[in-house]
Amino acid sequence: MKWRYPFVFSLLVILFVLIIGRLFFWQIVKAEMLSELAKSQYNGSVKIQPKRGEIKTSDGFPIVTNKISYSLFIDPTLIKDKNATVNTLSSLLDIPTASISSQLLPDRLWVKIESGITALKKGEIEKLQLPGVGFEETYARFYPEASVAAHLVGFVGEDETGKKGVVGLEGFYERFLRGKEGYAVELHDALGRPILSKRQEINNGSDGGNLLSSIDRSVQFLAEQKLKDGIKRYGASGGAVGIMDPKTGDIIAMAAEPSFDPQKYWEYSDAEYKNPFITNTYEPGSTLKPIVMASALDAGLITPQTKCNICAGPVSVSGYELHTWNDKYYKDTNMIDVIRHSDNTGMVFVALKLGADRMIDYLAKFGIGKTTDIDLQGETDPPFKARNAWYDVDLATTGFGQGISVTPIELLTAFSALANEGKIMKPRVVTAFENPNGEVLKIPTKVVSTPISSKTAKIMTQILVNAVENGEAQWTKLKGYRIAGKTGTASIPVKGHYDPDSTITSFIGFAPAEDPKFIMLVILDKPATSIYAAETAAPVFFDIASDLLTYYGIPPSE
Amino acid sequence: MKKPYLVIIFLLGLIIALSVVKAVVYNRLSTSGVFVSQVEVEIGSYKTQNAILSEELLKTSSLTNVAQRALALGFTSGNSPMILKTSRPLAVRP
Repeated sequence: MKWRYPFVFSLLVILFVLIIGRLFFWQIVKAEMLSELAKSQYNGSVKIQPKRGEIKTSDGFPIVTNKISYSLFIDPTLIKDKNATVNTLSSLLDIPTASISSQLLPDRLWVKIESGITALKKGEIEKLQLPGVGFEETYARFYPEASVAAHLVGFVGEDETGKKGVVGLEGFYERFLRGKEGYAVELHDALGRPILSKRQEINNGSDGGNLLSSIDRSVQFLAEQKLKDGIKRYGASGGAVGIMDPKTGDIIAMAAEPSFDPQKYWEYSDAEYKNPFITNTYEPGSTLKPIVMASALDAGLITPQTKCNICAGPVSVSGYELHTWNDKYYKDTNMIDVIRHSDNTGMVFVALKLGADRMIDYLAKFGIGKTTDIDLQGETDPPFKARNAWYDVDLATTGFGQGISVTPIELLTAFSALANEGKIMKPRVVTAFENPNGEVLKIPTKVVSTPISSKTAKIMTQILVNAVENGEAQWTKLKGYRIAGKTGTASIPVKGHYDPDSTITSFIGFAPAEDPKFIMLVILDKPATSIYAAETAAPVFFDIASDLLTYYGIPPSE
Repeated sequence: MKKPYLVIIFLLGLIIALSVVKAVVYNRLSTSGVFVSQVEVEIGSYKTQNAILSEELLKTSSLTNVAQRALALGFTSGNSPMILKTSRPLAVRP
């Protein structure tokens, strides 16, 4: 019987080793897995979605904010009467029945049917108490002013990586506006209810910050209305208006037509999202003349009284014959009248005096040929010829704004030097950032360059006031106000030639001339009633300027 | 030499008392899930209401809406503002 003791002992040892082994397996080998399993039973990870920041106009009104929106889900396993549910939702949400029923497959549990549902619509659906139908609350972008300033603010689109800002301010300040996603872990009791004392925030995310912009809501609204009216009145295919404070570079308004509705951005093409004021390039035509003239004045090569000795007829440069826009010629005309008559031969005289090197140097100082670095997504880098590609005829045509391309924002910024004592300010739309705690960080203004002296700017201003008072657009000027401005009728290059039937007309100017409150550029694409700026863009400019002067409370000076 | 014992007894008593308090508080909190859920639902509904009302307020105060209403009520833009360059006379002969 001696064997029984060792046998039982061995059996116990083996059992003990097995238990130890099993314990080792669960406690050491599978420890992490068990720990995760336990956590999943009593821990609930809550994702904290950041609220996207708002974009406010200069009066503090949120032109872009967030609204509560709902996504409708269906659990196909809980539906009692599939046809009735599908038909009801189809009529309420205006979705074809086929597109709903095709998604309700029995192997799917929680099918998203529609997003962007309003609280009102949600209430209507909830009243019907449809089994298997549920909602998820989300935030969607909301534009209280509808499509006002659509090109400026951009929109929030969605792709495979998620939601993100596209074009305009939404695109440029995407990271600041988006905020940071946070996570919190919540302990639950046996019935899945949260336990108050055990909520821990693991990753403390933050909401997006707000942008305080320089956009004046009233001026923006006004500019858009007047631009629409102008396009309709003159049969143009489109147009744009940009209004800036020349002393700070703040964009007061920027409007473009055709526009889009950022709330329904998917109904528009990519081309319509683009802000033509910063993306389109065009030949500025006569609106470039004051910049070239100011360069020559600043270089001391001419004075306002300098007489043009080649202005008696068409000018021949490198075999090309250059004419005036109306084939009228003024012998020995001075520089004041060259701008007043928008005399191309006079500007050839100025350009040849300036020479290619000085012309390129001054244009660069005015910011021509480079981006303005405005805080909007999508600004085009304008083309600019290299020095060795400049021939005499290029120099001559640049004098009157042809053979050179600019973006409207580039021209507006360059022209602002004439209105701001020769200084160019960096154009900007956002003037301050507001973080989620309400702290405001103001962005200082920045002088980009000083292409001309204050004295030259004053002389050029007087020449431009004379152009408004006595030039082709005098019929539409505002009585009693001194406004400095210039028309521009740009030809459209088509297959190596200029289109004889259509033009891009523009008017650029600032008011009041001696102490400008704003500088404005109005552009009309292919107006049908007239190809001249004095008969199309100029009246739109003065129409807006009239309301702006009243809005700012500026009385007539004369 | 009695003092160290008193301190030890006091500390032990304190530990026991705090443990009891902790157990009681945790016990109470662990069963407050129903109340917490209700409060969270209520906060959620207030937040929703607030967001919906803010949306309505912004829509109503938007210039787009104001302009439409003004037009519907017959308002037109004043195209001829009166500008006074000199002080108004006390009396004007008709």
